[in-house]
Amino acid sequence: MAAWLFRRLLQAAVTFLAVAAMLFVLMRAAPGDPLGRLTDDRPMTPAEQQRLKALFGLDQPIATQFTRFAAAAANGDFGVSIEYYPARVNTLIRSRLGASLLLGGAVLLVNLGLGIWLGVFQARRRGSAIDQWLTRLSLAGYAMPSFWLALVLVSLFAVEWRLLPAAQMTDPLLAPDAGLLTRSWDLLTHLVLPVVTLSVVTIAATMRYQRTAMLEVLRLDYVRAARARGLPESTVVWRHAWRNALFPILTLVGLMLPMLVSGSVFVESVFAWPGLGSLAAGAIATRDYPVLMATALLVSGAVLVSGVLADLGSYALDPRTRNR
Amino acid sequence: MSSFRLLGFAALALRAAGPVQAQSRPDHGTIVITIGAEPTLPVPTLSSAKANVDVASLMFLPLARPGRKLVTADEKSFEPMLARSWNRRDSVTLAFDLDPRATWHDGVPVTSRDVVWSLNRARDSTAPLPYSLLLRDLATVTAEGPLRVVVTFRRAYAEQMFDAVFHAPPLPAHLLDTIPPARLATSAFVSRPVGNGPYRWVKFEPGRQAELAANPDFFLGPPKLDRVIFVIARAGDAQLNLILDGTADAYEAGLLPRQITPIVENPSLRILTQPSFGIGYLLFNHRAPGDRTKPHPILADPEVRRAIALGIDRQALVRAVFGPYASVIEGPFGSASWVRRIAPTIPGPNPELARKILAGRGWKDSDGDGYLDKEGMPLALRLSYPLSSLPRVSVAEPVQSMLRAIGVRIELNRLDGPVWNDRRNKSDFDIDISQTTMDPTPSGLVQSWTCAGIGPGGTNVGSTCNPRFDDALSRAIRASTDASGAWKTAIAALQADNPAVFLYSLAQVVVLHQRYRNVSVRADLPWSDLWRWSVDPSQQLARDRR
Repeated sequence: MAAWLFRRLLQAAVTFLAVAAMLFVLMRAAPGDPLGRLTDDRPMTPAEQQRLKALFGLDQPIATQFTRFAAAAANGDFGVSIEYYPARVNTLIRSRLGASLLLGGAVLLVNLGLGIWLGVFQARRRGSAIDQWLTRLSLAGYAMPSFWLALVLVSLFAVEWRLLPAAQMTDPLLAPDAGLLTRSWDLLTHLVLPVVTLSVVTIAATMRYQRTAMLEVLRLDYVRAARARGLPESTVVWRHAWRNALFPILTLVGLMLPMLVSGSVFVESVFAWPGLGSLAAGAIATRDYPVLMATALLVSGAVLVSGVLADLGSYALDPRTRNR
Repeated sequence: MSSFRLLGFAALALRAAGPVQAQSRPDHGTIVITIGAEPTLPVPTLSSAKANVDVASLMFLPLARPGRKLVTADEKSFEPMLARSWNRRDSVTLAFDLDPRATWHDGVPVTSRDVVWSLNRARDSTAPLPYSLLLRDLATVTAEGPLRVVVTFRRAYAEQMFDAVFHAPPLPAHLLDTIPPARLATSAFVSRPVGNGPYRWVKFEPGRQAELAANPDFFLGPPKLDRVIFVIARAGDAQLNLILDGTADAYEAGLLPRQITPIVENPSLRILTQPSFGIGYLLFNHRAPGDRTKPHPILADPEVRRAIALGIDRQALVRAVFGPYASVIEGPFGSASWVRRIAPTIPGPNPELARKILAGRGWKDSDGDGYLDKEGMPLALRLSYPLSSLPRVSVAEPVQSMLRAIGVRIELNRLDGPVWNDRRNKSDFDIDISQTTMDPTPSGLVQSWTCAGIGPGGTNVGSTCNPRFDDALSRAIRASTDASGAWKTAIAALQADNPAVFLYSLAQVVVLHQRYRNVSVRADLPWSDLWRWSVDPSQQLARDRR
């Protein structure tokens, strides 16, 4: 186990370094001047350009820039943002991470909770009208552009019916001394539309994976045997069948976990959600290299960690994987 | 009633709930404004980004400001702010007497030391932003006692007053004079600025909001809007939705007619439109794209530029794209600029004449494809613009279509914002759809439209160079008598050379809740008069009573 884990972590670390180097070079190769924003997009004098380049270390050869970046990043320092100068990138990330974790966590919870239940439900009613309708609906959601769905939901639930807030994470007028219940309710109402939007467009995968896995398991002999023993159907389905139909979902969870930090650029933008997705979108639009590197590395780190966690999960749950 | 709807009503009830205090002043209230960027440096002279300037305008007062007509060349029309009066000692000397009631938010009086320190700091060439350039005509700034400041100028000109008061509002010297200029932007002061205006800083939550509170000791009268909250939403749609769902009370934007419709249909909102300093134009590159040493193979010919200008029906274009929310401009100045009133009118469209001019210059349709060519070179030009700018995206295709009618092939070059900006600054374009917000003063034309603005650091990226215009502009800027006549001559010289097709000045559109009274919005600093606003007592909302 220890050797396997060591190999897996080493693999992840090498991948992470390669991704970091590639991102660093590609970002600088992309056209567009990141310093333009600092002079309100007007042309700069050579002296001005030199001063600003030196300020952000962009006057050095790219190899030197990367070495310096890597050394600082290893100590948890991603430098100073260009767009939000003089704010430090770490401060910006810290101020946005909570919002992304909250949104991503809520979406994962809804996606997995509801998606798994619906997948199992469909498998138990394979071929029925409701199975077919759920498949159609989930695929329709999957095919829907998230920003379009977000705008439609806002238009109906916030603008037309005034049931939910249109944007942001909290009510800007919330009293500083508001109680926990009021604050929680406020947060919940702001969460509803972005969570529903992201869940609708992502839940199809969970439902389809779970349905297929359950169908595979439900026809196995041991399930038939459990039924023959007179066990209640819910026990057969959830205790015996579902546990063995969980492995594909584990892989899916591994793929979804990065959503916790990456957020969704479009949805965060439509809902003015103050998360890392909107921060990254702004950084792309302005070529804010330090912020872009930090958010990109955070996401790729999350992808790699999720992969390792998913593998660890399979390792723990499925003895067959231990010999591979 | 469905349980979902009940849940919604419960949500609304909770949103409106909270510690509501009895309000003894029924015309007081709150305003929530949406803005598209974060006010990270809300201190004058540290940033010229709109979000920072908007927030700073509520906390920091200038000595005086141009009057309602925004005439920058008439010092008598300026309104007193920190300076209660001023007098002209001679053609190059102005003396300002500060209002003795003015104090900083920490209680310290505003004195001549603050003004002298601030103007001298801004003029310091080592300071990060090029205020030294804007204040280059100030010779000395000195104090005569605690409440008098004397500014002398290097030469006599009509906009001395504007230069002295507009660019660098006073900062508190007692808090900042020990901080080196380059460190001011990173100092603790920036995260908790101390101003002298009607509002004081409360808090800033990155990505969410900035909050200001009324300064009850404001020497010109305490504001009636007790709280000003700026909610941050980058996307235009999100800003609009925050207004439409009632979260926000106001926002300012350049809007297209289709975006206006839901606002017009909302009975609790009203729209204020007024002239602005924002302009849009088609800028011709006089030099070869990306190589300023060679003339542009097509656009260096002034007759071709004239023909293209005649091929565009500016009135029809602006009406079709912007409806009543923009007006046609006659030069590089917004509809709020005072020189607009004296500018000569550019001749209307004349496609027939345009075709004749082009034919006279040797451009013929030799292969019958509908587009002109000359000696094997097609009359084809790239029209560059950033994809993120809705107004520019909206005018590109009509321009292409109008120029097709006179035989000019336009290739639409839609670019990502930073790429567009990079190419524009390197003069790597044929025709650029430029959009900018001008200063209230027309003197700013020097930077973008004269020979002096060409080259590294200059903003004349189209490399237009017309010594006749330069000379006329120089006279207009220096004119201390009959400035209007001199400006008219200068503008006519610019128009005659067709360095650009001047298209539109978007109206400044401010959307706000119906309950506000005594509303006034300035074209230069839209929210700076908020302290004069009040709330109609019969329309107060729960947020106003907190």
